[in-house]
Parts: sequence; structure tokens; C-alpha cells
Amino acid sequence: MLAPLLVLVPIAAGLVMLLLRSENATLAKAIGAIVAAATFVLALLVQNGSSELREFSFRWLSRPFESSFHFGVTSISIWLVLLLTVCTFCAVLATNVSRTRAFVAQLLLLEGSMLGLFLARDLLVFALFWDLMLLPVFFVLIGWGQHHATAWRYLLYNFAGGLTLLLATAAFGVLYGSTDVIGRGGVNLIGSWAPWIFAGFAFAFLVKTPVWPLHTWMPLTYADTPAPMVAVVSAVQSKAGLYGLIAIGMALMPDSLRASAMFFVVLGVISLLYGAFTALVQSDCKRVVAYSSLSHLGLIVVAIASFNPIALQGALIYMVGHGLFSAALFLILGFVESREDTRSLTRLGGLGAQNPRLAGALCIASLAALGLPGLAGFVGEIIILTGVFQAGWIWAVVLALIPIVLAAAYMLRLFQGIMNGPQVADLPVRPDLSWIEGLALAPLVLALVFVGVNPHVLTTFDTRAYNAVASIAQGTAR
Amino acid sequence: MNSPFTGADWVSVAPLSIVAVSALVVLLADLLAPKNMSRYVPIGIALAGLIVAAIDCAASYHGHDYAAFGGAFIVGGFSVVFQEIILICAAGSVVLYGTIGAGERTPGAIALLLWSTCGAMLMAGAGNLMTIFLGLELLSLALYCLCGLAERRTAREAALKYLILSSTASGFLLYGMALLFGATGSVALADLVSPALASNPLLWLGAGMFLIGIAFKLSLVPFHTWSPDVYEGAPLPVTAFMSVATKAATLAVFARFIYAALPPGVDQRLLLPVWIIAAISMIAGNVGMLAQRDLKRLIAYSGIAQVGYILTALAGGTALGLRYAIFYIAAYTFMNLGAFAVAALLSGDAEQGSTLANYRGLGHRRPVAAALMTFFLLAMAGLPPTAGFLGKVLILSTSVNTGYAWLGGFLIAGTAISLYAYAKVIFAMYARDAHGQAHDLRPLAPLAWISAVACFVLVLLMTFYPLTPSNVLPLVR
Repeated sequence: MLAPLLVLVPIAAGLVMLLLRSENATLAKAIGAIVAAATFVLALLVQNGSSELREFSFRWLSRPFESSFHFGVTSISIWLVLLLTVCTFCAVLATNVSRTRAFVAQLLLLEGSMLGLFLARDLLVFALFWDLMLLPVFFVLIGWGQHHATAWRYLLYNFAGGLTLLLATAAFGVLYGSTDVIGRGGVNLIGSWAPWIFAGFAFAFLVKTPVWPLHTWMPLTYADTPAPMVAVVSAVQSKAGLYGLIAIGMALMPDSLRASAMFFVVLGVISLLYGAFTALVQSDCKRVVAYSSLSHLGLIVVAIASFNPIALQGALIYMVGHGLFSAALFLILGFVESREDTRSLTRLGGLGAQNPRLAGALCIASLAALGLPGLAGFVGEIIILTGVFQAGWIWAVVLALIPIVLAAAYMLRLFQGIMNGPQVADLPVRPDLSWIEGLALAPLVLALVFVGVNPHVLTTFDTRAYNAVASIAQGTAR
Repeated sequence: MNSPFTGADWVSVAPLSIVAVSALVVLLADLLAPKNMSRYVPIGIALAGLIVAAIDCAASYHGHDYAAFGGAFIVGGFSVVFQEIILICAAGSVVLYGTIGAGERTPGAIALLLWSTCGAMLMAGAGNLMTIFLGLELLSLALYCLCGLAERRTAREAALKYLILSSTASGFLLYGMALLFGATGSVALADLVSPALASNPLLWLGAGMFLIGIAFKLSLVPFHTWSPDVYEGAPLPVTAFMSVATKAATLAVFARFIYAALPPGVDQRLLLPVWIIAAISMIAGNVGMLAQRDLKRLIAYSGIAQVGYILTALAGGTALGLRYAIFYIAAYTFMNLGAFAVAALLSGDAEQGSTLANYRGLGHRRPVAAALMTFFLLAMAGLPPTAGFLGKVLILSTSVNTGYAWLGGFLIAGTAISLYAYAKVIFAMYARDAHGQAHDLRPLAPLAWISAVACFVLVLLMTFYPLTPSNVLPLVR
């Protein structure tokens, strides 16, 4: 029974907050943070609870295919659920935009709809939340974004993906007879329709992740959305596509994914290279991180398509690691923007002298992003590369090494451009991180270090995740 | 002389009679009441009549099918469901007269609307060609007058346009019926099913003409050009009625015709052009929405596309497809009525709520009304958590199941286009810079509020409880 509660609590809280009259920003943030913290605790309870607590099912359709409101964590999704609740907590605390109440409400609605997505054990419920999670971002883009075109591009790209997902879900249900299949073993959809259904799902996942050439909505959205929301979007919403690729593409249609593995590896490698090179020359610092995300997520796509158990474990770890450091990076860039009123690397400079704590946080986050051993980014990268190498995609590994070197270049350029150098005279001087901003960053930074020095925790917390994906990968890797 | 009809025949048309009588009561009240009678008196009488009719109609849902008047009017699950939808639509339209009056003509307008409802209900149960035509003309004649009742010049233009084009459609329909009669020597739909007729050119020609007439009434592309102009010109309550009840009644006739009245071997070949124009309508209707500045025109184009979605469900000719079509028609009814109710909330007699420019910044001025409108627009676009989402899933699955996946593909493409048009309105309501442009809005419109909230609840609930009527077949006896 706890699982649907996990979805309903943030959505109900968000809707109630939208209706409230009070414009008290502190109160709004406090309520938002409490709700987000409560969802974190609930997620832990769901993970460790009895099976009645973990699972919930309510019949939705019996014709033309069976479908239920079936919620429950799978061993793969629990990490994303925990990551989402932590990121939402941090994002709520970091909120510093006008009309705080409505913004925090949208953050909670986003959290609820994405929790629904990750907890869904039914494809149709998955599709429902897939479309639903577009709306909070769209409303934030029209309410707080700078450019109208961004909102349109975000909505139309992702809705196009949502529609092919919907058609594929309907076709899957008709052919298989049930959509209550996520996390259920032994499903392998085959037949003349299977490639088309797989293509419908894959298109949605690739748009959402995104990979080249479907990424053009992403830099705009990441640059235009206020930092707290883009932290959640980049940390967790981008993982929805990858999660779908693993939990739906790989688990339910392994033959189709295997047949098109080359396609995914090629797209992943192009994204890796394209993202890294483009990140090198961006002047908007949010765009640097946006393109670096494109690059990092390309690596995960390669890992998934390689069908290697080691690479898949690496992919799961790297999804968490990337979530942590990209959320931290975007929150920090939000703080930088609120201090200096600009995001341009050509304008910024010398902020570190005035803001040592901010500089320290950015330092850790960008080092994690460039894959420094001892921080969360490294573990995932090295395991993925080992696994992909083992799977025989040697050219992909060789090409993937280039962006890893480039990552050091663009991340250090970002750090130096903002924090080092002489202070810029005409930019405002504002105080260092407040305690509440520090509190917003602390969980992310601590988790980066903790996972980095003790990656073991990710593999011992719940071994079923690795057993599950390993069995899928091995079952079809023969 | 003994009447050839039994008491059961008259009982089967009792809901229609109740509606017709309440229209007379409305007129009588207008005659007897003092000069400045409140507009809520005729609205109240009409609502009471509609509710009694709906209860009476629902009582016959679980009974066995009955062919009244020698097969002219068929009572059964199918006709009951459609009659209920039409009655709900009539009620949803009548309440809009609470905010948008037709002045002293309000009682007359309501009476005409009720008679129009009778015609639509007759079509829902029509079992032979005569009844179809009778219902259609009763529906249409009342609507011609209703369209012209507003004081605006565009209203008269709309009435004339509707009269001419609708009469053309009726001409096609009537000629088709004559040819069908020539082929069979009978007006009963059930007599068309004979396999011997499959190679009769009269049947092909007649059915083709009949379907063209239906396509006109459903405003499918390329017979759609009248509907945006007529919707725009007609008063808001009449547009609400036309956009749902007319379509529901015509779809009932269409479904009965293709499911039950075509000889085996004819149907799929004869109907292929219909599915093709349904596919074109899904694209053209949604593209047409993009440039609209008026809510009523927007909904007219949206309706062109939505009929295409419903035809996709019917394409396979399966019982499940019919049930999903009914589900979608019901969902479409509530989302459209809801959108019109919100528009009425924002309107005075000048119908400000139908101009999309007046929605700029509504999210800041009237947050609840804007949220409701957003919900209904999202429902039309098929986004969750609305019945439009579930309806599209059901239609897509049935299109895959019956081998009409290509229509499902058109549905997907059309929906993608439509989202842009709907989201433009949402965007205008919530855009940050869209303050101001305040105008005189009616502060209190209780009936429209109730209608909007009821539609919201129903559209939301239908997402989670897919109520599709199970006893809709058989359609003829």
C-alpha cells in the first residue's frame, strides 16, 4: 500500500499548494522540503518493507488487454526513486525564484509524476506518467522561462515521443494480452510486429535521454528552466529514457534490442563525442553542463546496448552518479547566476575569492563529472568501459576515451571561468552560500564522496538489481 | 379502428415524448408568466424534463431489445446509451443559457433545443430509413432557427450557411435512401443485409450517397467547410449542442448502418473511402486548429479530428470497437461541454468567452476557471490524467487488433499536431507577461460552474473506470 502513497503524496501536496493563497516563500519551501523528505523516508520503507507494503495492484482494464494500476519498486528502479527524492529535496531548498509557492508546487508535481513512472509495474501506467511528467516542466517553462520557443520545443519533442510510446504500449498490450509486465521475468515479445513496437518505445526513450540527433530540445530547456527544476530534470528525468531502455527495451524485448545494438552504440558514441566537443566551446555555463550530460548519457546508452552484465552494472551506478553530480552542478550554477546575474563564461570570473564554499562545492561536483577517482563519476565510467570492452565493442571503448579526456578540459574550463581569475569589476558582489543553500547541496556532495570512496554500497544494498539485469543480459548474450 | 401499435411501442418512445412535452411546458410558462420572467424558470423546466427522460430511458437499459413501431424505432443498450449521451448534452447546453441569454427569446430557444434533442434521440434509435430522416430533419430544422436567434450578423450568416449546406447533405442522404429502397423494396435497415444484394449496383450507389450525406453531417474532410463558420456564428449553447449531440446522433446512425445494415462482402470495400477520409480528417482538422482565434472555431476543427478518432475505433467492425467508440464519444461529450461551460463562465451576452484573446492571463485572474479549461484542453489532446488519454489508448489498441494500425498512425500524427493548438491556449492563459486585458466578466454563474465541475469530475473518473457498455449489440432486429 505504501507504493501508491509515494506517488499520491507529492501530487496531492503539489495540487494543494497550487490552491493556497499565501505567498510566503519560506513556508512554501519548508512544506516542499518536508514532503520531499517524507517521500525519501517512504521510499526507504517501501524498499525494506514486506511484500504487502512493496506492492499495490488495482485492476484498470480487462479488455482489450489486461492492465492494472500496479505499483512497486523493482530492484532497478529503487535507486532512481531514492535519487529523485533526494534531488527534489535539494531542489526545493535551493529554490530562489519569484512566485516560490507555485514553483515548489510544480517541483512536487514533477516528483510525484516521476515517482509514478519509476514505480509503475504496468506499461500503460508507465505511459500515463510518461506524458504526465511533461506538464510540470512545460508549466515552469511558460511561467518562468526566458524564451517561449523553448517550452514549445520541449513539449512537442517529448510529446511526440510520448505518442509513439503510447501506440507501442497499446500494440504490446494487444499482442501480449497484458501490460502488467514491468519487472516480470520471462517476457520476450517476438514476431513480425515486435521490431515496430520496439521502435516506438525506443524513439520515446531516445528523445527523452536524449541522444544525438534528437537532443535539440535539451540544451534550450536546460538553459531556460530555473536551476532547481533543471537539476531534477537532468538528474532524474533524463534517466527515465535509460530506465525504460533497461526495464522495457532490454527486459521485455531483448531480441529486438539485440538486433539493433549497433544502432544504439553508434548513436551513443556520436552523442558522447558531439556532446563533449560542443561543451568545450559553449559560453553559457548551463549549456556546458547540458552538453556534458549529452556526452555522459551517451556512454550509458552504449553500456546498455552492449548487453554485458558488467557494463549494465556500471550503467546503473553511473546513472546514480550522473544524477548526483549533474543535480549538484545545476544547483550550483543557479546559485552563481543568482549572485552574478549572468551565466556567461566570458563575463564571469574570480567568484571563488568571495565565495569559497560555493567554489568548493563546484570543485567537487565538476571533479566528479570529469571522472576523478574517489568520486561517484569514476566508478560508473570505469565499470562501463570494462564491460563494453569485454563485450567486444573495442572501437566504441577507444572512441569513448576521447570524451573522457575532453571532460577534464570542459569541466576545468567551467570551474576556472567562474571561480578563478581576476574579479570582474562590474559584476555584483554577494555573500557566500547561506546555510540553507549549503543544506541544499550537502546531501548531493556527501553522496558523491560517499559513493566514490565506497562504491560497494551500491552493489550490496540490493543485489537483486544486478542479478536481474545480469540474467537478462546473459540470457540473450549466448 | 384499432391502432396497429401496442402500448409497448408508445412506452419505448416515452423519453422522447417527455422531452417534447417539456418543450411545450416551457412555451406555456412563457405565455402565462409575467413579462420579466427569470431565465431560470425555462431552464429549470427543461432540466427537469431532461432528467425525468434520462431516468425513464435508463430504466430500459437492462431490458431485452425491442423493435417498436414495426422496427422503426429500436430500443436496446445501444440506443439507450446514445440517448443518454444526447440528453446529457442537451442538459449541458441548456444550462449555458443561464449566462448567455437570448433575451426575451430564451424560452423559445430552449424549446427549440429540446425538440432538436428529440430528433437526435430519434436518430439514436432509428431502425429504418424513414426514422433516420425524420430524426435528422427534426434535429436540423430546430438548429437552423437556433443558429439565427442571436442578434449578431454572423449568426444569420451561420443560419443560412447551415441551412443550405445541411440541406445539400440531406439531399444526398435522401437520394441514397431512395436508391437503397429501390434495391431492396424495404425501408428497414435489417432488410439490407441480404447477401443477394452484394452485387446490386443500386445498393452500392445508394449506400455511397447515404455515406456522403453522413460525412457531410459529421463534417468530415472534404465536407467540413461549413462547420467552423456555423459554430462561430451560432450562440454558445447551440454550438455546444451541435458539437456533441449532432455528432453523437449521426455517429449512432453511422454505426448502426455499417455494423448492421451492409450485406457481407460489401462492407470493407465500400467503407474504405470512409476510413481514408477519416484519416485525412484527423490531419486536416488538427492542422486547421492551428490558426484559430476563436474557441468555437477551434472546437469545430477539433471536432472534425475527433470524429476521425471515433471512426478509427469503428473501422474494424468489432463489438469492442463499438464500445470504445461509445466510450470516446462520452468522454468527448464531457470534455466539450466542460470547455463550453468554462467559456460561458467568462461570458456575458456578448460571448466574450469564445474569443481566445480573452484567455490571455486568465491563469492569473481566474486560476480555477483557467485550471478547468486547461484540464479540458488536455483531455482533448489526450494527455493524462483524462478520459481522452484512456480513450486514445483503447482506440489505438482496437486499431492494432483489427488490422487498421495505419489509422492508429494517423491518430498519433494528428494528436501530435493538435497538442500545439491546445497548448497555445494554455500558454496564453499562463504566460508570465500575459497580465491585464481585464474585461467585464460575469462574477457568478452557478449553473455553468456546476456543469464545468461535474464535467471535470466525470472526465477524471472515466480515466480510472473505463465504463464501456457491454450490451450494445445487436443493432437491428
